[in-house]
Amino acid sequence: MSELSKDQYYVPHLAKWPIVGSIGLTTTVLGAINMLNSENPGTPWVMYLGFAIILFMMFGWFGDVIKESENNLYNTQVDTSFRMGMVWFIFSEVMFFAGFFGALFYARTFSVPWLGGEGTGLATNEVLYPGYEGVWPTNGPGDLNGHYDIIDPYHLPLVNTLLLLTSSITITIAHHALRANNRAQTIIWLIATVILGAIFLYYQAEEYIEAYQQLNLKLSSGIYGSTFFMLTGFHGMHVTLGTIMIAIITIRVIKGHFRPESHFGFEAVAWYWHFVDVVWLGLFIFVYIL
Amino acid sequence: MKYVIIVLLLFILFSLGSAMFYLVKGQGQSKNTVKFLTVRVVLSVLLFLFIILAAKMGWIETQSPSFLQP
Repeated sequence: MSELSKDQYYVPHLAKWPIVGSIGLTTTVLGAINMLNSENPGTPWVMYLGFAIILFMMFGWFGDVIKESENNLYNTQVDTSFRMGMVWFIFSEVMFFAGFFGALFYARTFSVPWLGGEGTGLATNEVLYPGYEGVWPTNGPGDLNGHYDIIDPYHLPLVNTLLLLTSSITITIAHHALRANNRAQTIIWLIATVILGAIFLYYQAEEYIEAYQQLNLKLSSGIYGSTFFMLTGFHGMHVTLGTIMIAIITIRVIKGHFRPESHFGFEAVAWYWHFVDVVWLGLFIFVYIL
Repeated sequence: MKYVIIVLLLFILFSLGSAMFYLVKGQGQSKNTVKFLTVRVVLSVLLFLFIILAAKMGWIETQSPSFLQP
């Protein structure tokens, strides 16, 4: 295959993956709608089939991209569009977490104190919610889902913070090793990162079990429960994805992909992991401690 | 003392953002991506240690009293 010039795109023939993805998305949504019918709830298996088709599409499409990249079919133009894709993806991620952090800050700083009678909320408090103090953590004046206790930040969350921080250190060592063309070191430290990510997820699950079974802290525990589980839950999903991505990258390094001067896939995933760690730091500080 | 936490967080976000900038602009040739990510990790470890110290010394008011506090 001849080298393409910078202003040409590599356009693969017979790109079947977009239509496979469309079929997967349609099946997933139809399955979900079918389940939501309250009169006659359908089986979840249609939705699961949709998920399976999407996973098949991702596996096949990403695999093709890796093969094309390894066969040097991509020029700098394609490289630039991969990088721009990363920028837009991260932009959407930042907005996503900004939304949930924004909800937490707004509730803590404005809504809850107003219900407790601060600012212009004096009449609201005296007429509608007499006796409600509006102190965080709270499940609101309705005492939704009854009494609950909050997670002690100095047990599992502290351990989880240490785990994620350590995993950021290990992936940074792997990053330096890859740039120094030291493949053995890269692999070892990447595997360490995957293990640390998996342990984090295990403890996060433990924490949720403790919250539900012992502390009566649930998603339904008013504003505290909603913000707590939405923030930590979506963060947990990101750690899951990140762990899978680093595992794939590790396999690629073992197969001999990436060079010290060309390793965008590695760098993008490493950056994503750092992002997820910073989000956790924000959670540790604003959800658990302060 | 809360301001120390905020300032450190802002520096962390700045180094993460700078790493992203060089990831996109450097076309894989720039050493700055890994450099800023390393700075990010060092700052995060410092922030973590500071939070533990601040909670232990009672410099910050935390949601739940802890065994760390006197």
